[in-house]
Parts: sequence; structure tokens; C-alpha cells
Amino acid sequence: MLLFDHVSKSFGDLRAVDDLSFELEAGEVFGLLGPNGAGKTTAINMAVGLLEPDEGVVRFAGKTFDRDPREAENRQALGLAPQSIALYEEISSADNLRFFGRLHGLKGSDLEERVAACLDFADLTDVRKKAVSKYSGGMKRRLNLAVAIIHDPDLVLLDEPTVGVDPQSRNAIFDRVEQLRDDGKQIVYTTHYMEEAQRLCDRVAIMDRGRLMALDTVRALIEAHGGPGKLAVQTGDKESIHDTTDPLGTLAELQERETVEHFQYRPPDLETVFLNLTGRALRD
Amino acid sequence: MNKIVAMAAKDIQILFRDKLGFFFTVFFPLMMAIFFGAMFANLSRGPASIPVALVDEDRTAGSQRFVTRLEAAGGLALDQIPQEQALDQVRRGQTGVMVTLTPGFGAALDNPFRITPEVELTVDPTQFAAAGMVRGILLEAAGAELQALMSDTERIQATNDQNRRLIEQFAPPSPARDDFLTFIDLSARVPALVGQLGLDGAPTDAVSGGFGPPLEIGQTEVQAEQRGPSNSYATSFGQAMLWILIGGSVSFSMSIAIERSRGTLMRLLVAPITTRHLLAAKGLACLTTTLVTSTALITLGITVFGVTPTSYPLLALALLCGSICFCGIMMALSVIGKTEQAAAGVGWGLALPFSMLGGGMVPLFLMPEWMQRIANISPMKWTLIAYEGAIWRGFTLNEMLVPCAVLVGIGVVAFTAGASRLRWDTG
Repeated sequence: MLLFDHVSKSFGDLRAVDDLSFELEAGEVFGLLGPNGAGKTTAINMAVGLLEPDEGVVRFAGKTFDRDPREAENRQALGLAPQSIALYEEISSADNLRFFGRLHGLKGSDLEERVAACLDFADLTDVRKKAVSKYSGGMKRRLNLAVAIIHDPDLVLLDEPTVGVDPQSRNAIFDRVEQLRDDGKQIVYTTHYMEEAQRLCDRVAIMDRGRLMALDTVRALIEAHGGPGKLAVQTGDKESIHDTTDPLGTLAELQERETVEHFQYRPPDLETVFLNLTGRALRD
Repeated sequence: MNKIVAMAAKDIQILFRDKLGFFFTVFFPLMMAIFFGAMFANLSRGPASIPVALVDEDRTAGSQRFVTRLEAAGGLALDQIPQEQALDQVRRGQTGVMVTLTPGFGAALDNPFRITPEVELTVDPTQFAAAGMVRGILLEAAGAELQALMSDTERIQATNDQNRRLIEQFAPPSPARDDFLTFIDLSARVPALVGQLGLDGAPTDAVSGGFGPPLEIGQTEVQAEQRGPSNSYATSFGQAMLWILIGGSVSFSMSIAIERSRGTLMRLLVAPITTRHLLAAKGLACLTTTLVTSTALITLGITVFGVTPTSYPLLALALLCGSICFCGIMMALSVIGKTEQAAAGVGWGLALPFSMLGGGMVPLFLMPEWMQRIANISPMKWTLIAYEGAIWRGFTLNEMLVPCAVLVGIGVVAFTAGASRLRWDTG
């Protein structure tokens, strides 16, 4: 559905995206992870046609990937939920949805059906006539997501859709994303929260300094880049942490030497992979 | 105290980091200082010459002598032209004041004992300040002329002889006639008496004391003469409609900045529409709003305040062209200011000096010539000309084409410049 083929983009001396290649597979949630300045937003902006690659091509739709997002009519198949809430707060959620629906060519009963469906999707039907400015942060986030799908696009790009929301709203958004995937949408999901990517994404691409560092399923990434897990052991008044890929074996060895009173094993996760690939140095 | 200083220092630091805030704090006052400084410097030297269309219907040696005196006095840029042409210039707003020396002016000037010389001013109603200046210069010239007469023994003697002959011929003998003839004889001695009094350099009225004003000045407004009765609302509604355009363009320029700052601009640009669609929508909204509100305002002027446009079709044309011009300006403003505060600041910051240069706030003749030349690029000036042309100046279609072409030209250039710089850039 979406193809990046050796795409590069520079701003002055800064190479924001460097030779990026990936291809979305049918019906998957594709995670795009990376520290600040990794090039995620530049990649998203190229995917939706806001920026033109300096090198390479971005194409989407169909098996032939023949549509350029720079062409306005081709963007009909795209839906974007920007990182910042991008809504007209003076008008109601229903009117926001109607406006963006009309921009995408919807009208009449088709438009009203989609508005109703999106209000239901965002769980905002009861407050559909209220001005958005009266909504809570979580409600706005859900509406921000609903507006992205008002025209029922095949490809939905979600740019950090859970920033600044409470755990309940975050879970609600997870449910919506999974619902979209179940409906057959392809989703590009950028986030800084590794547990979100681990829960939602079928495959994850990790970018750093514009380059693609790794791309695979979460399990494969952990196996390839996660390293050993952490086994924390308490013996008497002593605590120790052991790196291990075989926690049971390590525990048995320790038991032979002394009595283990408590232990806790933390397997490698996506965060470990992320830090192993991108390092621990602070990014600006 | 340290906490207060720290907070104050932070605010100052933020102000100077904000380029637009810095501009309005430092450079805008500087611009105003230069603007008013140049204007007042000009005033202290005497304002630039006021353009005056002069019609000499008298065509005598006396009237030409007065014209020569006016030219020598300075302050007026006289253009001696036929009455019809002069009237046309005032009506079209090219000249603010027409001065007519009526038949008999020269004779009256030579013989102020019989009749006070009269001139007629025909004034563009938006140029009353200039008319006031012209009045002063005319009175000064007439006073100087009277002083010259009173100082010239031969001329005053000749005038007295002429008056004596007329009185003796037409007035029957009476004590009043004798008294008046005695007065005439005494007046011939005035120059000698003035010399003895040592009044050189005293004000003119002191020297010619007892004769009243040296000049009668009548005044009419050009539209009343040309198009029948109207009222002051005819001019004030034109200016009010101009402020609708200014306010509308500033407000709509903010709308793009608001779209940018709230993120919806990104959403619009990602939708299956082109930038041209977006610009056309913004332009249409601005055009519709300014047209509808201007039309509502002038309708109120017509129905309630008795404004009577000279041509409704030309008024519609002027409204359309004015709106096109300011929609273009709106687009240019919208890309200069990235935030709504910046867009509003830039909009009003530019509106103020351009309004001044357009003659809407300060009479143009008070400004130095270089400022008057700059005023020709003020869209406010051309909008007012177009509006007034349709409301009370009685423009023909041909006369309306020039301001309308200028307005559309400014609008297209500004819109194109703004549109070419519009990017999705959310920063």
C-alpha cells in the first residue's frame, strides 16, 4: 500500500532522511520509531505529499504503487491524524467531520452516514453538537483520529496519537487502532512509547539520524537486537542482577551455590532494542 | 526583589526574542517618529505647495497682477486653466481647490472703496484643510495688494479721482456726499501718514485699518455644484467602507495564521485539494465578506442617511475592485505573519502608515513631496478615489477605469506574491 524506495530528503546540510526503503504489507500496523530528529516526521510528510523527496520515490495504492501523494486527487486514499490536535474548536465535532468529509468529496446521505459512523467510532455521538473547545483532551484526541478516517481511507497515518492523554483515553485509542486494523486499514503509527508499538504494531521500523536501523516484527527485532534479559536475584540480604538468555539455567546455577529467596526476570523488550540500536545519548 | 527582577528580565528577554514584538517595540515607533518628523519638518518650512486650479474669468491687468502676487507668495501650485477643466479636476480628485476670479475682480482690486474684490472657491469636500490654507494665502495676497495700493500715491490719487467723478456725476449734493468726498481726499494722504507713523512691517490690517476684509471669499463643494444636493455622509460612508476593507483583510490574513498554528492548515493541505483550492477559498471568503458588509453599509447610507450615489453600476464596480485589491493584500499579509498575533500586528502596522499616506488621516499637502509620491502606491488612496468617484464625484466609466485598474493590479500582485510564499510549514 505504501512504498518508500531509496528515499532521501535534506534541509540545507541536514540529511533528515537518508536512503529510506520499506514497503507496507496488506492489513498491518506499521510502527515507525526513532528518537527526536530521527526523520520520522519528515518521512510522514513525504508519505502524505507535503514534502517532495530529493531522491527516490514514495508511492502508494495498489500492487503497482503507481500513485504519487504529491498529486491532490491521489491523497483521497490517505488519512492523517497529526501529532497536534488539528480541529476547528469553535464548531462541533459533527461539523468538523462534515467539513473534512466535504473536502474529501462526500455529500448527502453518504456524508451523514460517515459522520455518524465516525462519531460512534470516537464515542462522541452524545456530544456531537457541542463545540470542540468544551471537550476534554481525550475526546479531542479521539476526534482527531476520527477526522482522519472520515473518508474511509485505506491508509491511515497516526503521528503520536496518544500524546498527552490519560491511561483510559490511551486504551480507548488502542482499541480504535485495533478496530481500524480489523477493518482492513493499513496503519503507519509513530510513537515514542515502546509499549504501544509492542502492543499494536505487526512490524516496526527503527530510524535514527535519517537512516533505517532495523525493520522487522517485534519478536524478530527482540531476538536479533534485544540481547540478554535481566535476572534480579535476592539471597539473604544481598541483591544481584545477571544478564542471561537462559533465565532458568542461570537460576539453577545460583541455587546450587546459595539459597535464592526472591528473583525477578525481565526479558528484553522493544525499549531494549531501541536503546541498543540508537544508543543512550540524549537527542535534541 | 531578586524574584521580581528575574521575572522582569525573563519578560524582556522574551520580548526581544520575538522579532515582531521587537519590531513594534523599537522599529515601529522609529518609523512613526520618522514619518511625523518628516511631516512636521515640512510644516516648519511651510507645507509643500497646494495644487490649485485657477480660473481667471476677469482677465484684466488687475486680476493678472493678483495671480502674479499669488505665485510670488508661494504655498500654491497654480495651474491656470479653463473653468470646465478646472472643475473636472476638482471633481475627479486631482486638485483639491479651484479658485475663480470672477468678472470685475481686477476693477474691485484697484478700487476697494467701492466694492470688495470677490473670489469663489470650489472645493473637494475631502480637502477642507487645504481650502483653509488657500483662503489664508488669498487673504494675505489681497491684503498685500491693498497695502500696495495704499502705498502708491499716484494709484490712490487716480482711484480717488475716478471715485470723485462717479459720486459727483451720480449722487445729488448732500452733507453725506460732502463728507464722503472729504474722506476720499483724506485717504489720498494715508501713505504719507503711514510713513509718519512708522508702521513698516506691521500687519496688513493695521496698515489698511478701517477697510474691513480685503477679499470676499465664497465657497462651494464640488459635488453640490455638479450633482445636486448631498450631505457629509457621502464622504464619510466612502471612508467607512475603506475601513471595512482594511479590517476584513487583516482579519482574514489572521485566519491563515490561525489555521497554521492550530494545525488545520496541515490537514487541509493533506486533503485531496490543491493549494489553489485553498487560496481560492480564502480569497472567496474575504471577497464575499468585504463585499457583503460594504454593500450593507452603503445601503444603510442610501436608505437612512440620504447618500445618493451618482452611479450604482460604477459603485458596484468600485466595491468589487476594492475588495479584490484587499483580498490580495490579505494573502500577502497572511504569509508575512506566521502567527495570528504576528499577522494582526503586521496588518495593522502597515494599515496605519498607508492610511496616513493615502490622505485619509493627514492631508497630503502637509507631507513632503517624497511622501506624496509614495502615497501614489497607497491602495487606500485609490480605493477612496474609486468609491468617491461612484458616490459623489460623478465619474464616468472611463474615469473609473484608472483607479479600478490600479486596485485590481495591486490585488493581483499582492495575491500572487502571497500565494507563491504560502507553504504548509507549520512553524
